[in-house]
Amino acid sequence: MRLLSSALVTLLTLTTFSFASSSSVLVVLDPSLDRENYSIFFGGLEKRGYNLTFRAPKDTSPAITDYGVPNYDHVILFAPDTKSYAQDITPQSLVGLLSENTNLLIALSPKQTPLTSLAAEFSLILPPPETPLISHHPARSEPQTTIPVTVSSSSPILTSGIPPVWFTGAPHALGSTPMLVPILRAPAESFAADSTSDADSDALVTASEKGGEGLWAGSQMGLVTGFQTNVNSRVVFAGGVKMFSDEYATKELPSGGPPGNALFVTDVAAWVFQAKLKLRIDGVDHHRVGESEAPKMYTTNDEIVYTAHISAYDSETSTWKPYSGIDDLQLEFTMLDPHIRTSLLPVSGSPGTYQVQFRAPDRHGVFKFVLNWKRKGYSYLESSTTVPVVPPRHDQYPRFLSAAWPYYAGAISTSAGFFLFAALWLAGDVKGERKKGSKVE
Amino acid sequence: MVWQFSWLLLAATVQAASLSLQSPRFTISTPDATQLRSDTLSLTEKPEPLTLGPTDTLKLTFQITESDEGKGVQPHQTFLRFYDKASGEEGIQPVRVTPGGKAKFELNMVRPPASIPPTTHNPLEVSLILGSFVHAPAQYDLFELYLPASRTPEHPDEASFHVLPAIKHTFRPEQKSPPQFVSAVFAATVLSPWLVLIGLWSKIGVKVPNLFSLSIIPFTALLGAFEVLLVWYWVDLKLGQVLLYGGILAIPTVFAGKQALYATGEWRAGRK
Repeated sequence: MRLLSSALVTLLTLTTFSFASSSSVLVVLDPSLDRENYSIFFGGLEKRGYNLTFRAPKDTSPAITDYGVPNYDHVILFAPDTKSYAQDITPQSLVGLLSENTNLLIALSPKQTPLTSLAAEFSLILPPPETPLISHHPARSEPQTTIPVTVSSSSPILTSGIPPVWFTGAPHALGSTPMLVPILRAPAESFAADSTSDADSDALVTASEKGGEGLWAGSQMGLVTGFQTNVNSRVVFAGGVKMFSDEYATKELPSGGPPGNALFVTDVAAWVFQAKLKLRIDGVDHHRVGESEAPKMYTTNDEIVYTAHISAYDSETSTWKPYSGIDDLQLEFTMLDPHIRTSLLPVSGSPGTYQVQFRAPDRHGVFKFVLNWKRKGYSYLESSTTVPVVPPRHDQYPRFLSAAWPYYAGAISTSAGFFLFAALWLAGDVKGERKKGSKVE
Repeated sequence: MVWQFSWLLLAATVQAASLSLQSPRFTISTPDATQLRSDTLSLTEKPEPLTLGPTDTLKLTFQITESDEGKGVQPHQTFLRFYDKASGEEGIQPVRVTPGGKAKFELNMVRPPASIPPTTHNPLEVSLILGSFVHAPAQYDLFELYLPASRTPEHPDEASFHVLPAIKHTFRPEQKSPPQFVSAVFAATVLSPWLVLIGLWSKIGVKVPNLFSLSIIPFTALLGAFEVLLVWYWVDLKLGQVLLYGGILAIPTVFAGKQALYATGEWRAGRK
């Protein structure tokens, strides 16, 4: 069993290695966008070992998938204004790619395109068509739709200290699903509107009132938002494609200094292409205290030791390395509901190992060790191991209870009495009148 | 901060006329129109935090003017921002401004607008954001506002993205045994008939002339072996072993028993 599982792990590792080292990327680039204007972004990707293939949205080759098997590890869709695609790019096929572990980087725009409806499937609520994000703050010489956005440093996806980034495009409101990973939020002063003069201010009030379409405003809106699926593939929706451009990467901020666009899009690409915050469970094992092999079944009240081995992907060396950085991992021992939930802490001195010891509950049944660690931005860690927990066997109960002494005495007494009677009856002599001959005869 | 400040400086230079706020005033009243608090707002110093009960109404009035001429204007963006610093939740409420620059906002807690963010016991920071295509933008921190806490439904999966409370299993208490002395007394009671038996026997005397007879002793010994087997079962053996050993033991016992009974029968009938 152990041999088989270790062989499986090795096999998995091997496949993942090849997955990481190939890293082919298909870039669907709209012909209206000049590839030269995105040279910093694309060049950066190539420098980090990604193999880029370009194609226009209406080209039929190279195909994204062949017979349902994805041809690329990652797909970049930089065609925010394109309304019609070749047959192999539809919202459904893109969702299919995600379930086949292909990652997507998608640029949106204020225009209504097939990708707009795809974004809605990922719980992003887009404003009405043709309403770009505008902001009057800060006062600047650029148009109202070209906005410097402060980058929050709280997201684990981004390196800290990225200067504000230039943004042009559409915002989106975020649905309630926790699988969304907000990467860049809109400035508090910004809002989505199609107006060009101060006289339209009443329209904004009407929009927010009952019966209106609603107002997309404030920092609760997202501009760049990721989504991590249940199979740990990742998709990022960016509200505009221009933030990836060389033009914005070199455009000076109103406050002076270079913008953070180049750094920001590098971090976003690293996350969406699984080079960052990628974790996995190498294996779990469990056994009784003092033993080393997993038993077939546990008895109620057994002391159980549960161990998990976790590693993180290191994109620089393309290897998996033991990872002890999780301090809020929890283990549940469940039968329908968790009976025990305890924190699974890293073992010091043993990288990547998390261990806990606990006493099995005094309820018998089919239990599961459940590891379910989900944090925004990180790969989900899920593991479930089923073990039966049985009551003690008839001969595993304590045998010499003081409370049962009278019963022991009774049983032994009866038993000894029977033996004594049998021996006496057989060995004794019949006294007195011994009949001569018997009646039967 | 410095960065924002420099933007403001830039704002002053880029556009000549900037927007300013005139005579901002707030009133808090109860449903029966009793005024709880009413004051003008100072733009340089924040007032004491405002507190609204679940049925109170907050009224806010102000005028937006061009800072140069004092003429009322209608800017493009007149947004009230409600921001919860602790949770990061934010709500944006546009305010309707007349062409003369006058604005009135009413917050009735019986029917709060959808733009009010989910509230906790923390205060909301209320600020006014002004933006225009022709004027330099402006932003004013008005006051802090305490609202009754609200409840918002959570996504069912949201919980699994956070640390969950630890669960400890409550074990059944250990079984209690009565004091060993009591058990010993009762065990002695159970064994006491032996005293009577032995006492009576000692009076009448027991004769076992045939105990070591070759016809009897094998059966007695085998019977004793059965007793030993049962004690062994209690102490150590498993049921299968007991049945096996018992089965093996049974075969000689049957013959020995038959022999013993036959011999006794002979004696009793007086044939021997």
